[in-house]
Amino acid sequence: MRMGAKTGAAALVERIEWPLVIVVVLLAALGLLNLRNASLNSPASFHLAQAVWYMVGLGAITVVTVIHTRFFQRWAYVGFGAVVLLLVAVALFGTELNGSKRWLNFGAFLVQPSELLKLAVIVVTARFFNDRNKEGSHSLRELVVPTAIVLSGVFWVFNQPDLGTSLVILAIFGTMVLFEGVRWQSVVALAVAGVIALPFGYAFGLKEYQRDRVLSFMNLDADTHGQSWQVRQSMIAFGSGRVWGKGHEEGTQVQKGFVPEHENDFIAANWGEERGFVGMLLLLGLYFAFVAAALNVSRKARDRYGVLVGVGVAALFFWHTVVNLGMVTGMLPVVGLTLPMLSYGGSSLLTMMVAIGLLFNVSFHRPSYG
Amino acid sequence: MALGDLPTRGRHGELAEYGARYGWTLAIVLVAFGIIALRLWQIQVIEGERYYRAATENIIRQVEVSAPRGRILDRYGVALAENRPSFDVYMVPHIFRRHADEEAYALLKRYMNLSEAELARIRGMVESNRGEVLLRRDVPRLEVARLEEDRLRLPGIEVRATAHRHYPLHHVGGHAVGFVAEVGRDELRNLRAYGYRSGDRVGRMGLESAFEEVLHGSPGLDRVVVDARGNRQGESQTRFLIGEYQRIEPVAGRDVVSTLDADLMVIIDEAMRRYAAGAVVAVDPRDGSVRGLYSKPHFNPNAWSGRLSAMEKMRSDNDPFKPMLDKSVNAYFPGSVYKIVGTWAALHDGIYEPHDEVDCPGYYHFGGRRWRCHKRGGHGDVDAYTSMALSCDVYFYKLAEEMGMDRMAEFARRFGFGERTGLPINHESAGRIPDTEWYRQYGPDGYTRGMDLNSVLGQGDTLTTPLQVAMAYAAIANGGDLYYPRMVEEIRNQSGDVVFAYEPRVRKKVGIDAESLEVLRRGLWMGVEDDIGTASRLRLDHAEVAGKTGTAQVAKLGAVRVANSDKEIRLRDHAWFAAYAPYDDPELVLVVFLEHAGHGGAEAAPVAMEIFDRYLTRKQGFDALEVRLGSAPLERAGEAP
Repeated sequence: MRMGAKTGAAALVERIEWPLVIVVVLLAALGLLNLRNASLNSPASFHLAQAVWYMVGLGAITVVTVIHTRFFQRWAYVGFGAVVLLLVAVALFGTELNGSKRWLNFGAFLVQPSELLKLAVIVVTARFFNDRNKEGSHSLRELVVPTAIVLSGVFWVFNQPDLGTSLVILAIFGTMVLFEGVRWQSVVALAVAGVIALPFGYAFGLKEYQRDRVLSFMNLDADTHGQSWQVRQSMIAFGSGRVWGKGHEEGTQVQKGFVPEHENDFIAANWGEERGFVGMLLLLGLYFAFVAAALNVSRKARDRYGVLVGVGVAALFFWHTVVNLGMVTGMLPVVGLTLPMLSYGGSSLLTMMVAIGLLFNVSFHRPSYG
Repeated sequence: MALGDLPTRGRHGELAEYGARYGWTLAIVLVAFGIIALRLWQIQVIEGERYYRAATENIIRQVEVSAPRGRILDRYGVALAENRPSFDVYMVPHIFRRHADEEAYALLKRYMNLSEAELARIRGMVESNRGEVLLRRDVPRLEVARLEEDRLRLPGIEVRATAHRHYPLHHVGGHAVGFVAEVGRDELRNLRAYGYRSGDRVGRMGLESAFEEVLHGSPGLDRVVVDARGNRQGESQTRFLIGEYQRIEPVAGRDVVSTLDADLMVIIDEAMRRYAAGAVVAVDPRDGSVRGLYSKPHFNPNAWSGRLSAMEKMRSDNDPFKPMLDKSVNAYFPGSVYKIVGTWAALHDGIYEPHDEVDCPGYYHFGGRRWRCHKRGGHGDVDAYTSMALSCDVYFYKLAEEMGMDRMAEFARRFGFGERTGLPINHESAGRIPDTEWYRQYGPDGYTRGMDLNSVLGQGDTLTTPLQVAMAYAAIANGGDLYYPRMVEEIRNQSGDVVFAYEPRVRKKVGIDAESLEVLRRGLWMGVEDDIGTASRLRLDHAEVAGKTGTAQVAKLGAVRVANSDKEIRLRDHAWFAAYAPYDDPELVLVVFLEHAGHGGAEAAPVAMEIFDRYLTRKQGFDALEVRLGSAPLERAGEAP
């Protein structure tokens, strides 16, 4: 490990991304508090279970941080391949819940390999472009290989079916590729192709319930008891918080169970209800700060791998946040995406924590040039 | 690029080729978050109030609190209709639809003992209804306990304690007291303004219906906090969320103290035990108070107020004797109890002096036809007294011939026949007193003089109600005052204070002269107390009774007289008996009408005399039947199995 001029504790402290640490700690604290309030009337103590996952996540961050970056680069393809194998295993032996086969049952706990794929795509994409080390924009032809690699994983996720995760992985990949540089003619060509493909994708690519979600999103008033009911209740929770919120522990809509999935995808509704518009701005500010801090890690990176991992993690948080908040405020269809650090759930939280670990890793092992 | 190479650095120290991309990326992130912030601004700031109201409507439900219905009491305070605690099960369909699964349906079926058809009906309601529906009324405690145990698995199901109408005397006086039933959809349109809502019960028939406004009271209003499953939250939660809210207390309905006598009603019911159809009216001649109003076949108001089974409803609808018809105010041929009209008319107009005698050979020639007396061998010489006691038809034939129908009709109307008496309940019939004009207008063959002879006997087209007969006989008993039948003494509020008292009201003075009155009274006395009387074998040893039997022919007589027992039931005569007692100080007028039961003397008079016997001796502290039979104290009919 080359640590430059400073050594020991001083160098360590210098390399810690303090803004990132502060944002993560704030998000974690806020997330636990919010989860506690949201589940005040629930028999389960979601916040306590989540706290345990945070502990596990902290361990994961530490491990990921201290392992040398070269390890991840070296094993990127193997790791990606392993994740795809897990996804195949899901398709073959997975556990089915609510009509989706997304989990592998390891007795004591369920593992969701599609979450791992988000991380694998970030690492493998970073490795790919790092290896190419091409300055300037890429042509479409040059993107065929990495796209094929990513699609070989996304295919299985899409088939689970998990439209939300498939799209967010493609969005992360897309963001990294765009950041890496694509000829603008290629971007235009892809955009046109995408627009043309959209109706076909809707008609043949989506399952019926997914089409229903899109339809109910288009007309919230038509279906007051199905998908729209969730969104409507979520909006009532948000709206009823008004400017300053109803106050600590005083949210009624979420606590009384009017908002389904309130500890999970719709967790923001509780924050919005209790803390109002001001609280939501604070939350948005924290996410923005996180994305900015991640990009800052990327900016300080000394190689393409570090740059792209930083962008990939920023994209992971960005897309999750935007899609989730867009969904719970009725701007986007319900696709089942968690809100980073706030939604309850081990797989999702662990993914985010490992992603944060990757950022620390890039920062920690950054070569020092003095 | 291999690790360790020295790349080109940008202005901010980043790899040079990525230069401006960080700025662009952050700008895009900012724009995306800005759009979300704008959306939140729209929801939380601009439309916040609207959503806040929606949230309040989500958790706070206005619940009307039913007012306890007032009781109906007899004159001594015995409850004829009261409230007992019961449990109703409600469902909020949209909550059930959202949260319930097949298991919930199965639990509901098991716990509430539902048939497949009922379950299918509930499934239909769940799919189509919003708001709240009453699933089942008056659910037994055990079922409630089982439901409550599994409340968490039955979302949207609520059990509410409520008051259920109960009639302690069961079928006795069912027609007079009435019953309650759920308000109909059309009815509700008019009643909503008066605080009624779907599922409320309104009085049907009897006092329950006539005094609906008094008994109903006004509902209160309460606000409760519910969760998404419709479960009510506790008092402290409610207080915490909606503060010190104003609860509008319900105003209980007021009690109706009727003039009815529960004991007498039970006695009447027992005296009527052998008869399938008929009516009994008991009136206090001193003020027109109705002491008993009884109709048979009866129905159980408890069954009609609760869950009436389809079978029971069908049985009632198909019963040829029409259980839901109050026969005490329905009009029938009165037969000989109507002869008081002819006697008074004749005496008043001087056609007869009281002791003028008419020979009855058993028939009377008129219009080329022989009109028969009910006694084939004839009564011999009869005067005004004995014609009443013996119920001699020939005496009245002659009288009718001389007087004519129109004059007799005039006297009938003075007694109140042909008009409603003014009883507040059960849509009483006016009856019919035909005159020549009526026959000319409505008779298929117009008017003929022979009709006069039919008319004087209370036959032909004359129709009176048992209540009209009772009020007319009360006028004779009290010296000529025709009262309005008084069924309610007073209205009391829940504290027991009298808020309104119904005073007796004289409808009109009959205008009977003392001499005619005395003749009528004496004639009626002889009907029971003289050895020649048609009811003399039923004399009581402790009180004198004055009465008149009547046998109303339902089918026209043929040349050959056929015994009632040989006739088809619906062709048999109606049996009547109208009487009052004690003779020298009348306090009770009784009219017994037995539909298609035969002769008045043989059938109706014994019923009336049993009632008098037991009623009058009871007033002295013992029961005649008990004394004679040495039996256990009279069991309340309501408590009989």
